Parts: sequence; C-alpha cells; structure tokens
Amino acid sequence: MASVSLPKLTLHSLFPTQSPKTPLCLNNSILHKLPQSQFHGLKLSRSSSTSIPSSSSVKTSIFAKVTQGTVPPAFTLKDQDGKNVSLSKFKGKPVVVYFYPADETPGCTKQACAFRDSYEKFKKAGAEVVGISGDDSSSHKAFSKKYKLPFTLLSDEGNKVRKDWGVPSDLFGTLPGRQTYVLDKNGKVQLIYNNQFQPEKHIDETLKLLQSL
Amino acid sequence: MRIPPTTRSDPSLKSTWSHRAWVASGCTTVLIALANSIMGAAESHIWLEPILAGLVGYVLADLGSGVYHWGIDNYGSAETPVIGPQIEAFQGHHKWPWTITRRQFANNLHALARTVTFFVLPIDLACHDSILLGFVGVCSGCIMFSQQFHAWAHGTKSKLPPIVVALQDAGILVSRPQHAAHHRQPYNNNYCIVSGVWNEFLDTQNVFGALEMILFFKLGVRPRSWDEPNSDWTEETETSSQVALP
Repeated sequence: MASVSLPKLTLHSLFPTQSPKTPLCLNNSILHKLPQSQFHGLKLSRSSSTSIPSSSSVKTSIFAKVTQGTVPPAFTLKDQDGKNVSLSKFKGKPVVVYFYPADETPGCTKQACAFRDSYEKFKKAGAEVVGISGDDSSSHKAFSKKYKLPFTLLSDEGNKVRKDWGVPSDLFGTLPGRQTYVLDKNGKVQLIYNNQFQPEKHIDETLKLLQSL
Repeated sequence: MRIPPTTRSDPSLKSTWSHRAWVASGCTTVLIALANSIMGAAESHIWLEPILAGLVGYVLADLGSGVYHWGIDNYGSAETPVIGPQIEAFQGHHKWPWTITRRQFANNLHALARTVTFFVLPIDLACHDSILLGFVGVCSGCIMFSQQFHAWAHGTKSKLPPIVVALQDAGILVSRPQHAAHHRQPYNNNYCIVSGVWNEFLDTQNVFGALEMILFFKLGVRPRSWDEPNSDWTEETETSSQVALP
C-alpha cells in the first residue's frame, strides 16, 4: 500500500541547480504551469510484494529524490565487462556520475568523447567518471571500444537507478534525461547539471565545480 | 548495384509524356487556386488577407519541404510502400548530386506535381474562400517547384539565369552555399529547399535531432544520418563532365 509522506515540492527535476536549459527542453514551461504549493520529494513506500509501476516518467519528471547536498541511493550495476560495480567503490574521491540516453546516439557520443578528451583533467582533479544508461553491457563494451573511452560505463537495465535518483525525462517523457551529478569524496552531491541538447557543456560545468572542490 | 545516370542523354533523366501530364495537372490545380483567390479578392476588395495567406503559404512550404526531405533522407528504403521510389531517388541524389541539374524539367517535378494534383484538386472544387485558396495556391506551388529550386541550388552561378541568382542571393530561393552544406558530412542539416528560411532555426535548435531521438526511443528506428554513410549514400566524385557546386 503506497503511503505518501509529506510534501514540499521540489522543482528540482524541472529546474535543477546550475542547469541552463536549451530551448528544446520544455521543463521550464512545465514549471510555470505548476501550482505554487511546495512539496518535496514524494516518497512512495510499498510492501515488498508489490512493485513500483514502470510508467513513472511523469513521476520522475516532477519529483527528484537526489538533490544537492544529499547522498544519493547506493547502487550496484554491471560495467562494460559484465563486472559488478558499486557506487561505494568511489567513496574517498570525487566522482562524476553522468546519466545519458543511449549508446551510439549523436549527443551521447559527443558527450562520451568530450569526457574522454578531458579525462586527464578529471584525473588531475582526483575524480572518476562513470556513465550510466539503460543499455546492456555488450552495448557499452562496443561503444566504449569504438570511441576508446577510458572510463566506466554502467548498465542500468530497466532504468531503476535513473528512477531512484529522480533523473527527469525530457520532451514530455519521451526522452531519458541527460543529467550529471558530481559527488564529493564523502559521496554527497555538489552539483546537478541537466542539458539534453548541449552534451559537451556537462564536461565544462563539472570540471569547473571539481576544480573548486 | 545502381548504375549512375552519367550521360546527359540517359533516359532516366528525360521527361516522358506522363511526366509532362502530371506537371500540367499540378500547375493547373495551382493556377486555379490562385486565380480563384485573386478573383475572390477582387470581388470583395479584400486583398491584404489573401496576400498574407499566400506569404504564410510560402513560409510554411519551406518548413514542409524540410520535414519531408528529412524524413525521406533518413528513414525507409526503396521497398517502402508508395514513397519507396522517392526514397531511392533521394539516396541516388546524395550519391550523384550533380545529376539533378541534368534532369529535364517535368522529369524533376512530376512526383511532386502528382501529389499536388491529388491534394489541391479537391480543394479547388470545394473551396471558394480567397484567403484559404491564396494559402493553398502559393504553398502547393512552392512545394511543386521546390525540386526546381533544388536543381538551381546545385547549379553554377555562371550558368544560372541572372534572375535566379538574384533570388537566391536575396534569400527568396534556397541558396547554393546553404544547400551545399546539406551535401557535406554529417548530412544532417539544411533540409529545407524552398527559400531555406527555416534552416538556421531548425539546425541551431536541433529540431530534427530531437525528432530523431524521439523516433529512436519510441520506435527503435535509427536515422541514416547517425551512422557513417555507407557506399550507397556517399557522394561519388564525378568525371570531368561534372557540374561542380560553386
């Protein structure tokens, strides 16, 4: 039985911190239509025998669970070699976790290559880079090999982690969102950046923040 | 493997009587719409709205040409029902872009003229509103002639009529440099071929990119522009008889 805990609407997924929107990202226009009431992080708790419905794109486009200053939910996902990788592995150093729509699509390729080309700068800042999409390990392996990506790609099959972290969708739920989180060495979120159609900006914004950490 | 139409006398570039008939019927339906619009305007002495409607038709024809061009450049194949031959023709155009300048007039326009006939004839028969007819006449006329504007955009400046060059330079017809950009890697921009007025907006706002992503996630189809052009798509360099893009 779902129970709703009390609300203060976070408009985070519609208007995350540090997120210049491209004109085609309609989140701001949805924002203006919302009521002015505030409630934060709708939390649904269910008994273990039921499962949360997967058509949660509306939910994730309105309610964000991971916000700046919080510690995001832990996860263990398979990497491009099929090995399990946990978020906790990266504790002790900053980590850039970037959620992207899909391997081998133009924006995601640009973004991955941009992270690759700036990877030394991320290493210099002591940070690790992790990309997450709903593609499987073999897709990640091929993508990683083709573009010689030096960082880990994780397979979030079923988009469970994407939903747990509240990554908003774009274009009325038709596109998985492109959102990047920078976690500090204590695992706390210091930056959330969302930009679907200017993928290279994710690198600039995250590096800027890392260099100040 | 398709064989390129390499010589000016290649029959696939020549107009047939069937082509000419379709172009005649397309032009007739467009002219009827325009004539009825003008007569209606003259009777009612209301000119501004039909003229504005015509202008809107001209502007939207450019957008329509871009959307259609994007669709058939990226999706479907020669086996697609109804429009398979058009898709094949567009792929052939990318491989041998210069051949469009060698197509005879009716050969080039007949497919669009046929579509215009089917759409505009019923409107001509049913509609007497000068504003709507102004819009339909100009819009359909621009769409029908877009293949001619397209051919001119592949021409060389020195061989085009001066009036055409002037209209291209003024942005009234799609320009040669703008269309040349469409024929360069990554073949995913400058799709509009009437005036090209929509190209900058559609490309800078990545409208087609967004549509491609939506179709990919909803239907699982990848547009051709996402992948390295295969040999069916890549432009061949012509022999010495090529009409080069300026």
